[in-house]
Amino acid sequence: MDTARYAELFLTESQDNLSAINHALLELERTPAAREPVGALFRAVHTVKGMSATMGYTVVADLSHELETLLDLLRRGERQVSPGLMDALFSAADTLERAIELSVAGREDDLDTAETIATLRAAALPASEGADTPVASPKQKKRKRSAAAPTTPPAPITINVTQAPDTPMAGVRAYLVVERAKTLGPVVHVQPDSEAFYAETFDGRLTIGIDTGASDEEIDRTIRSAGYVADVTVTRAGAPDGGKRPALPNGDGGLAGGSAGRASELVPSRQHRHIRIDLHRLDTLMNLIGELVITRGRLQQLAMTINEPALTEAVTQTSRLVADLRDGIMTSRMVPVWQVFDRFPRVVRDAARALGKRVELVIDGQEIELDRSLLDEIGDPVVHLLRNAIDHGLETPDERERAGKSPTGRLTLVAARDRSAIVIRVTDDGKGIDRDRVLAKAQAMGLIDGTRTDLTDDELFRLIGRPGFSTATQVTDISGRGVGIDAVHTRVRALGGTVDMKSAKGEGTSVTVRLPATLAIVRSLLARIGDETYAIPMTHVNETVQLERDTIRHVKGREVLVLRDDVLPVVHLRDIVRLPRRDGGGGQVVVLEVADRRAGMVVDELTGQQEIVIKPFDAVKDGLSVFSGATILGDGVPALILDVSSLF
Amino acid sequence: MSHTVLICDDAIFMRTMVGDILQQAGFEIVGEAETGVQAVEKYRQLRPDLVTMDIVMPDMGGIDAVREITKFDPQAKVLMCSAMGQQALVVEAIQAGAKDFVVKPFQPSRVLEAVQRVLG
Repeated sequence: MDTARYAELFLTESQDNLSAINHALLELERTPAAREPVGALFRAVHTVKGMSATMGYTVVADLSHELETLLDLLRRGERQVSPGLMDALFSAADTLERAIELSVAGREDDLDTAETIATLRAAALPASEGADTPVASPKQKKRKRSAAAPTTPPAPITINVTQAPDTPMAGVRAYLVVERAKTLGPVVHVQPDSEAFYAETFDGRLTIGIDTGASDEEIDRTIRSAGYVADVTVTRAGAPDGGKRPALPNGDGGLAGGSAGRASELVPSRQHRHIRIDLHRLDTLMNLIGELVITRGRLQQLAMTINEPALTEAVTQTSRLVADLRDGIMTSRMVPVWQVFDRFPRVVRDAARALGKRVELVIDGQEIELDRSLLDEIGDPVVHLLRNAIDHGLETPDERERAGKSPTGRLTLVAARDRSAIVIRVTDDGKGIDRDRVLAKAQAMGLIDGTRTDLTDDELFRLIGRPGFSTATQVTDISGRGVGIDAVHTRVRALGGTVDMKSAKGEGTSVTVRLPATLAIVRSLLARIGDETYAIPMTHVNETVQLERDTIRHVKGREVLVLRDDVLPVVHLRDIVRLPRRDGGGGQVVVLEVADRRAGMVVDELTGQQEIVIKPFDAVKDGLSVFSGATILGDGVPALILDVSSLF
Repeated sequence: MSHTVLICDDAIFMRTMVGDILQQAGFEIVGEAETGVQAVEKYRQLRPDLVTMDIVMPDMGGIDAVREITKFDPQAKVLMCSAMGQQALVVEAIQAGAKDFVVKPFQPSRVLEAVQRVLG
């Protein structure tokens, strides 16, 4: 069968099941005596097994089969949960995940599951070998049947049945043959014993003695209706040989006829219905909507120029519809963050175990929705943050007790909505960042004035975020390679978001990631420099100020903007795009805000606000650009989008 | 008039695959159920000509569902979908009233043969 088109579905659903497996394992570890986690585990593994066998992924199927065997023993209480067993199960779940990924990629041979399977088999062995060894098959009773003739008198009719050679579950099929025979009349004896159907030695032949008034044809048809019957021979008492009848050709039951369409009379219940949509289709729709938004801008400008009331009205109406359509499509792309957060409990457990820490993870705001494309991107940064917190933030149980804290560290992961942004915050109640050490190191590296005695949160964070700046005394597997926070920073910035950190010595550290809820369309302020237009995302625009003679002052040789009680640093967009500054002649200052930091940016002129569609921009990847992308404005002119956070 | 089918399996993957096989053979898929409880409910509601039933499902397994369905309609035609190693469960399902079974991995021809036997 062509299974290729099912591969995607298989992968998606297997991932759901893997997630369920991990959750159930964590639950089982917490409450070893509970029955529900074992049941949930069994179901999920079983589903994976069935799907993978159908896909022909034998590595996955075999592995899940072994896992299932062990789980079945657990479920029936024949094995007990122990730390060793939990380790075997966790590690098997990981191997299963890799096996699934590799199988879908067509590289299942890359994975060697022998060790995992051996571990599972060892765990499935009874604790005390031999003492109470369970029989291989529960159906196989120890009672040995004597080889003697049937105890019942010979029945008037004997049916000899031979099954097809490749009958799946031949034993059950044989049982079904007997069940079918019973519809004809009382079955007097069956050979072999029905217990033997399930033994490996069952060869697909059985003899049924039956008392029935049915004709040979009827018997033949009934027996064959059990399926996978290759041959039926009916022998009537008193006609030892002559009564034997060869099997009739396999009748064709046919699918014709049938009942009237009952279903059509029924109105389907109005429940919440879901369909799965390929993400690419939504991306295509999103792109089309993006183009439509651009065209709408152009249309609006034309309508303004032509200034014909009927046209203006039609354009206004179209605009509204386009906006609704865009909102609809954006909403359809939103998925709750739990789809990614779901795997974090496992990540935290593994990291805590590896580092000898005790951690309680609290997750809040799982229902918050985020654009699908963003969600895929934030998983890794958040994992970095969690691992960092466990490795560097939280202390060992001993250290915590000495510091008068509970031996179990508390790690909080919160998602929340803030206007059009999504806020994700990772907080630990650990030892906080050692400012003195960071300061000393920064001074040693010449990054900070040697006379300083303290650092602001801001400086602290920016120092830690510097590539290669790490105060971890030793590099662990978990983090501390000096790339953690830096990697997070780069990734989040590429998504148009910001990272912010607060830390108090002895009390803990909190890292906040702010992301736009959607990637593709942002409302922007349009600024002009000479003939060029630049877009500044409104998420970062605080306010604008008319540039007057004394708006900008000089303090210690630096330009500053005095805004009410605040003194803000000033940048010139002309400097950024390497154009000479203008001499006087007005201008505007845009007050930008990124994570509690503000700055003023001088531009020639502000030309308006517009919703812009971000076209991804390769320059962002090298991390040097101050532009996060490009867009096409309503009048068809391209404009660069300023990456505001890069200015700070 | 084509036969109506209710597909019960907790995996969308399996429902899709069984659904495709049956649909291509001209059956009308009138409903799907993800749990045993749903299967029983939908059977009462839809009265399909055929039910395909997974054995392991959350919220009442396939075997109990067969029992409930057969109690409600002794003529119900239920085809069990089982995996290797479930002999004992399949026997239990047949005792509960299932008419036939197919073993995963599914091959369309085998599924259709089983369906023919059940409906025949």
